[in-house]
Amino acid sequence: MTHPNEMPVKVEPEDLAHAVEATLDPKIQEALGRSLKAHYDDLVKAPVPDRFLVLLAELEAKEQNHGK
Amino acid sequence: MASDGSVPGEPVLSFRELLVAEIPNLRAFAVSLSGSMQNADDLVQDTLLKAWGHADSFAEGTSMRAWLFTILRNTYYSLYRKRGREIQDPDGHYAGRMSVAPAQEGAVNLADFRNALSSLPEEQREVLVLVGASGLSYEEAAEICGVAVGTVKSRVNRARNRLAELLGMTDVSDIGPDKNAVAVVLGGGSS
Repeated sequence: MTHPNEMPVKVEPEDLAHAVEATLDPKIQEALGRSLKAHYDDLVKAPVPDRFLVLLAELEAKEQNHGK
Repeated sequence: MASDGSVPGEPVLSFRELLVAEIPNLRAFAVSLSGSMQNADDLVQDTLLKAWGHADSFAEGTSMRAWLFTILRNTYYSLYRKRGREIQDPDGHYAGRMSVAPAQEGAVNLADFRNALSSLPEEQREVLVLVGASGLSYEEAAEICGVAVGTVKSRVNRARNRLAELLGMTDVSDIGPDKNAVAVVLGGGSS
């Protein structure tokens, strides 16, 4: 019988500072990766506020006027 | 994969169009850094203004996204950091505002994930988002953050471990239907 505290994934924080190889179970890494992408992609998909497009159009127009 | 817009055979985009194309990614990175939609959009606006004013410093053929992220990050640390994360702003917090994606089997709830992500130290959160979601390389992330690639790798590693801990993902059976894998791992242990 194996005691839960003896699980090999248990890593102390001070070890992590030195051990880049102290990696998580690949399945946990994959799940975290999916969540991270879900977080980010949800934000990327949000509609872009008009203020940014207006701002850039104004900057471009200003520059073109100066060029003449 | 080219984020610099220099895909052969495609029409050459104006500087303005290149900036517009990166706005969604700038917002996603800004929210991830600042933890607030409102601060994020101010941060993106400042970034766009600075980018426009310093267009000459963008090196053709390099990644526009990496260049803009560098500007955004520098702006955040010089102007936003204090007012951003120290003021509690429940209404502006992205976790409460954004839509919640439908749960995938074995996936972490998005709101839970965001809470965990926002509690990471900034130096870990930023590299995790850069290499894990934004499509940038470890080398680009290192350059953006002004640290060595090895430092990025160890920060990403620490970030993942911390997230797993915060989300209670210490056991494979927590994240997927394949409980047999745990039995195999545990069965292999000696005492």
